[in-house]
Formats: sequence, C-alpha cells, structure tokens
Amino acid sequence: MKALILVGGFGTRLRPLTLSVPKPLVDFANKPMILHQIEALKAVGVDEVVLAINYQPEVMMNFLRDFEKSLGIKITCSQETEPMGTAGPLALAREKLDDGSGESFFVLNSDVISEYPLRQMIDFHKKHGGEATIMVTKVDEPSKYGVVVMDESNGCVQRFVEKPQQFVGNKINAGIYLLSPRTLDRIELRPTSIEKEVFPKIAAEKSLFAMVLPGFWMDIGQPRDYNTGLRLYLDSLRKKSPEKLAAGHTFLGNVIVDETAKIGDGCLIGPDVSIGQGCVIEAGVRLSRCTIMRGVRVKKHACITGSIIGWHCTIGQWARIENMTVLGEDVRVSDEIFSNGGVVLPHKEIKTSILKPEIVM
Amino acid sequence: MENTKDMPEAISSHKKTVAVIMMGGPTKGTRFRPLSFNLAKPLFPLAGQPMVHHPILACKKIPDLAQVYLIGFYEEKDFSLYISALSNELKVPVRYLREDKPHGSAGGLYNFQDLLMEDDPTDIIVLNCDVCCSFPLTDMLAAHRKHEGIGTLLVKKVSKEIASEFGELVADPKTGELLHYAEKPETFVSDFINCGVYIFTPEIFTAIKAVTYTKHETSSLRRMSSFEALHTATNSRAMQADFVRLDQDILTPLAGKKKLYTFETNDFWEQIKTPGMSLRCSSLYLAQYRLTMPELLATGDGKRSPTIIGDVFIHRSAKVHPTAKLGPNVSISANARIGPGARLIGCIILDDVEIKENAVVMHSIVGWKSSLGRWARVQGGGDYNAKLGITILGEDVAVEDEVVVVNCIVLPHKTLNISVQDEIIL
Repeated sequence: MKALILVGGFGTRLRPLTLSVPKPLVDFANKPMILHQIEALKAVGVDEVVLAINYQPEVMMNFLRDFEKSLGIKITCSQETEPMGTAGPLALAREKLDDGSGESFFVLNSDVISEYPLRQMIDFHKKHGGEATIMVTKVDEPSKYGVVVMDESNGCVQRFVEKPQQFVGNKINAGIYLLSPRTLDRIELRPTSIEKEVFPKIAAEKSLFAMVLPGFWMDIGQPRDYNTGLRLYLDSLRKKSPEKLAAGHTFLGNVIVDETAKIGDGCLIGPDVSIGQGCVIEAGVRLSRCTIMRGVRVKKHACITGSIIGWHCTIGQWARIENMTVLGEDVRVSDEIFSNGGVVLPHKEIKTSILKPEIVM
Repeated sequence: MENTKDMPEAISSHKKTVAVIMMGGPTKGTRFRPLSFNLAKPLFPLAGQPMVHHPILACKKIPDLAQVYLIGFYEEKDFSLYISALSNELKVPVRYLREDKPHGSAGGLYNFQDLLMEDDPTDIIVLNCDVCCSFPLTDMLAAHRKHEGIGTLLVKKVSKEIASEFGELVADPKTGELLHYAEKPETFVSDFINCGVYIFTPEIFTAIKAVTYTKHETSSLRRMSSFEALHTATNSRAMQADFVRLDQDILTPLAGKKKLYTFETNDFWEQIKTPGMSLRCSSLYLAQYRLTMPELLATGDGKRSPTIIGDVFIHRSAKVHPTAKLGPNVSISANARIGPGARLIGCIILDDVEIKENAVVMHSIVGWKSSLGRWARVQGGGDYNAKLGITILGEDVAVEDEVVVVNCIVLPHKTLNISVQDEIIL
C-alpha cells in the first residue's frame, strides 16, 4: 500500500525552530514530526511513502535514509518546483501512488498530529465502497475552518463550506485521506486545491465519505498549537501505553523523558512535558507544559513553563522562562534571566531579561 | 591633518607588502540577520560590489603587494567562487585561510604566521572586513615606513558620543606615537578612535607570541578572585589562552612604548555591523565612485533610460524601465527588473528582484528574488542605527499589490498580503 505525505514548504510559522531543520524533522514528543506519521502508516501495511516537498529535500532524504532501514519502509521524495497546492502533488507523484493494483492510497498532511486510526479508516473505506474517504474531526469553533457537511447516518459528504457564517456543522477536514486511484484522473498537473476543486466533484457523485476521527487531533504548525498538541498526545499515551510515560515522585501528570536524559535531585517535572535525548536537567528545576528538545542543559533552580526550548540550548541557573517563549537552536540564556514570551533565533546569547513578548534576532 | 606634503617613498626592490583582511565567521554577527542567512556578510554587496571587495581594491593600489589573505572561520565553499574570480580580475593572488575556531583578531594573525610570512614581507596591512572607509593605504604605508615602531593605526577624530563605542586613543601630536589605548571605555578618554586599519612589521608576531605565552602561564597558575570571575563570566572565551584580541591584548599594553604610531584620516569612516549600516555605507561608497570611478555610476534622463538623481549603481544585467525614477543612493544588483513608474530612493535591490509598476521603495533593502506588486510601498524611516530603522526584506519575500510595509524586518520566503508597520515577521 502507498501513501503520500504533503510536506510543502518553508514552515515559517514554526520559526525559529524551522530555521534549523525542515518542519517535518522538528521533534514532537521526542520524535521527528514526520516519524509519527510514517510509523502509523507502516503499522497498517504501507510499504512506500512519498513525501511531497518543495524545500530542502536533501536534508530530509539524508535523515530519512536511516529510518528507511530501521523501519523497513521505502521513503521517496517528490519535489515540487513550484508550490502545487494540496492536490497538485498527487498528480506529480502519480506513478508512485498508482501501481496498477487498484489499491487505495493514503494522503496525510504533515502538520497534523492525531492517533491515526488508519486500520479503522481502511475498514470504513472498504465498507462504503466509494471513491474517497476523509477523516473529519469535531471542533468547538468550526467557522475558523472549512466545515464538512455530511449525512450523519452513513457519512456521505454533501458539501464543503469554507468558514461558515452560520452553523452548518461542527466537523472539519482533519487532513487525512484514503483515495482510490481513480481520484488521480481528476487532478491536473498544476497548483490545485483538493478541498476546493477535487473533493466537491467526488461529493457531487455521492462517492466521498467522511469518518469522524476518534481521539485527539491538532494542527501543530505553530508554537501555541504545538504545545496543546503535546498535551493531547501525552493524554492519549496515558490511555494507550502508560508505561512510556515517566513515573515517580519527580513527575506530575503526563511526562515523557528520553532514556538518555539525566534529571537531578529535587526537580518537579510536569504536567505535559517532553524531555529529549541527551538532556541534562540539573537539581531543583521546575518544568511544566513545555518541550525540551535534544541536547538541552537546564541549570539548577531554573523554572520553565509554557515554552519550547530548542536543540542544544543552555538555560542558566535561576532562569525563568514562560509565556510561549520559543528558543531556537543553540540559544544560551544566562543565569537569572527572565523571558516572558521571547522568540529567539538560533545561536543567540540572552544576557538581559525579555520582559514582554518580542523577537530576538 | 593628512601628511599630503610627504610623497610616497620611492619603492625599493626589497620592500614587499601582504594584506590580511579579517572576515569573522558565521556564529558571530547575528546582528546582520536576516541578510546573513543566505550569504556570508563579507559578500554582501555595497555599491554593487561585495563588502570585502572595497578593502581589497584599496590594497591593490599598493605597488609592491605580494598577496591578499582573507582570514575567517566561514566555510571555504562560501568564498571559493568569489576568490577565483577575484584572483583573475586583480592579477594578485588572493587566498582564504580558514580558522578552525575563532582566535581573536590577533590570534588569527598569529595562527597563520608562517603562511603570511611566506613572501618575506616587510609590511603587513591588516584590515577588518566590516570597516567602510577610503583606505588611504599608500599614504599610510609611507608614514609607517618612516618611523621605527612595529605598527601604525589609522585613526580619526569623531564626536564624544560616537567615540565611546569604539577604541579610544591618545596620540602624541608631534610624533604621532600611540600613547594610550582603551577599548570602549565607559568614561571619556579621547575623541580619536581606532579605525580598524593597521600596518605592521613582522615584529608584530613576536608581540602576539609574548601575549599568548603570558596567557598560557596565567591561565594555569592564577586563581581568579570572585570579582574577576563575575567580570569575565560572559567573556569566558577571552580567558582562553589562544584567543588574543588585537585591541585589548596587543595595542593597550604596547601603547606609550615607542612601538605603535598613528596615521590620521579625515575621510568617511563607518563600521558595518547591521543591515541598516550597510545601506548607509553603500551610499558612502557610491559617493566615492563619483570621485574616483564615475563611469561606474548610472546616468539617465527619463527618455531612453530611467531618470537618475544623485549616485546610482545599476548592474549591467538589470533591466530598468525608462519611466522609473531612481536615486539618490540606489544600488541595483544583477538581473533585477524595475517596472514602469517605479520610484526608488536610498535602497539596495539585490539579485533577481522584480519590482512592478508604480511601486515605491525608500530606505530599504530588498532581498534576493523578492517581488513587489503594483503600487506596493516598502519604506524605512531612515535611521540606520535603530533596530527597525530601515525595512529589510529577506530572500524570496513577496509583497502583494498595493501593500505598504514600513519599518519591518521580514524573514525569507514570506508573502505579505496586508500592510504592516514596525514588526519583525518570522
């Protein structure tokens, strides 16, 4: 079975993290974002994943080569020379997706984090026998998104309404599709939108069905949603594989800690924290609702909350970091510094406090 | 007063000069972002030529110049194209020497001593790449060869406020000897500053060696008092034995010992630390072309070629519509396209930029491959030193039709479809 992951472009909303690596390689819960998706695909029998990229494919491929071997799945890139929208990349990768066997293929949006109930999706798809299945997810504020209006009894999609002014439904496109190869015939090789141009045509033929995504869903393309996504993810991990979470009196709520990380005495960590490979958390540190990426050293008595600390940063003693501070790669925060929402580009030294949210270049 | 009454010394066959340009490297100079994301700062164009090109051209005026060395810790590949083109064009060997790690300005010289002394030079010109000035090297070299010290510094008199940002020095008004030197002093020392242009004799290496030796000794023997530890906490690199700075570690101790002399200039002088300053310095070099190489500047009257006001540089491959009006102080790089009715003032337009009809650019830098839509307006306030004093568009930024961008810094690959002011856009 094949799959396409829409990786797209520059990931500017996740800067400064994406100034160091392409967005799919930004770690989420101690694993590159795209690996969560590739592993979920592998688990349902996908043997080849195509990444639709238009930025830094060499960096991606170098990284993924290692995973090809360890996961036993083939990974290739389909490079867009101009942005192809959300459907164009499918036409570009056509030969790889349609191997003549008539088997349907997955299309995933790389910014999405969810439980990936792909097995259930395959069953639902076979059962309705239609051309395409999309996952939808229930949200509180549907008018921020594109709403999918469907027949609740069988999931048959009636129409799409972009940012509706009045309530028409509360299910939005979750960015996970299962398409039969004949959908490829509908897509021209040009920048095309799958929601605006392709799906409405399939819906008109009553051949598009929606499945409500069980479990959590988050678009983690920007730092604030990234943190919310971590909370949802760890929540789900607590239910499915609680042994993966850290346990002990040092930890509060859901916390995931890489086995190579070291944590000193007298720390209080959690809730909703991820600590990456090779991190050193010295004594007396308080961490809550934050992501600590690979190779970070947090010195004694520091306190970090509601923030993202990028790879190889150093946080000084008694530093206080809060309110959606995002530190790029290799940022060094001096002792006793306060950062209230600083967004700091890579390789900076922060020697004076950041009292209100600002970007430090 | 410049020593204009002294003619350059007759060149004796045993005099040889090498020039060394200190370039720095990528982890320093985050102040040059976002322009430094794509390009090593020394290659950023000022008045149509890379920043480092201007001091190199100045060195080329020295008749007995044997080689030009560029010392830095950027990757070699960042400069290989530029250097091979340059060696051909200038007919003088140019080499890039890469430091494995920063050694400080003097440490870098010492690190490559054997290479620099290869041609057995009598004089070594040392320049900082990010200095923008007229580089009066011929006159300075003549003055240097007259005294018996080991080095000559280019100095300039400035206002008190400006002086405190640099190295301040006191010179003997009769002999020009350097009597006292203080780097960025907190209290007033002098209104003469060190311009970052030096000429040394090979004895400088002995002086640097002595300092390195002392540092090795003291770093292993001395226990720091707690005050010292506090003071050097953020300067820990300077405590390393092989990190030797020219200003604090060499000039300060040697001042007043009849070893160092000064040479004064009254010409323009600036340091190019930020993109705002690069815009200012581009204008200074354009004004210098007006005096030394006016054929490089554009001319036009709005009939077959665009209307040109003041100093404007247009790369020969750029296309500018005749109804556009450019200047003063505009520099347009390769393959840029400026559409009908566009107005450009005080700006640097980098390679492959497209500016559509009736757009306006003032006091800004427009990055490589960016595009401005019709009636777009990209504007800065013109305060070169303020954090958001000019507008900088990084690589591949698209400003849509009729959008206004004022005093912003926009990182690469962004599209602006609504007007915006006083912001950094990541």
